[in-house]
Amino acid sequence: MIEVAVFCSMAAVALVSAVLVVTLRNTVHCALFLGLSLAGVAGVFGTLAADFLFVSQILIYVGGIAVLMIFAVMLMGRTSDLTLRQVNQEWLAGLLVCAITAAGLLRQAKGFLGKAADAPARALAAQAATKPLGRLMLGDFAVPFELISLVLMAALLGAIFFTRKEDEPKSTENGKPGRGGGT
Amino acid sequence: MTLSHYVALGSILFIIGVFGALTRRSVIGILMSVELMFNAANINLAAFNRYLHPTGVTGQAFALFIMTVAAAEVVVGLALVLAIYRRRDKIYMEDINLMRG
Repeated sequence: MIEVAVFCSMAAVALVSAVLVVTLRNTVHCALFLGLSLAGVAGVFGTLAADFLFVSQILIYVGGIAVLMIFAVMLMGRTSDLTLRQVNQEWLAGLLVCAITAAGLLRQAKGFLGKAADAPARALAAQAATKPLGRLMLGDFAVPFELISLVLMAALLGAIFFTRKEDEPKSTENGKPGRGGGT
Repeated sequence: MTLSHYVALGSILFIIGVFGALTRRSVIGILMSVELMFNAANINLAAFNRYLHPTGVTGQAFALFIMTVAAAEVVVGLALVLAIYRRRDKIYMEDINLMRG
């Protein structure tokens, strides 16, 4: 009973905030509701007994990515954005595509209607997932684990490369100083 | 709670993300919509793990990998958007849909 209540409330938080993320005009509000939606998804992980995912979701998404989005919005925002429309002209066609796809996906989801968690699975899933996850990461998944660290390294270097300041001679060569040139 | 509820939740969240990615004008809005889609996929992975293979944690490990890739993606994406904004002073998609300067 309490499981149903928690799932419904968390799903409602995630879905309503997600709709607000894609429809609101003020981008700062969008970023804040994105954090709320990600927190709702973390609650859904909680009802799935995925404790490590719950903590990682809070740490990485709510604490990292949502804050990064808010910073980006603040760095790139202008006051004129509040009066401009944030949705392009083809929103009706997009809505149609999404409605048809949603109908198909929900039809697929109906096929799993009889699949409830049985009692032994419930008892097993109540154990902490951290230890098996650690064993899996350094056992069967060792190669993907190392590859992911390489991807993170590349992303770090790429972010530094793209956001570094432009060189001074290069910006004066074009006749106009670079906007981020710091002059 | 059955598996169907979780799959339906993941589907609806994914569709909301697709709608946002199709219709938002600013690049940051599109990046946020992509994050919503990643989360929908993660819900599905965790739910399938819990209901179809409860003795293992492979689905959760996949969800962790997706989280890592999403973090890398959003960092590089925001860095690119910031670079474009510095050079061109534009963040709307219809202004930057050509790949040449």
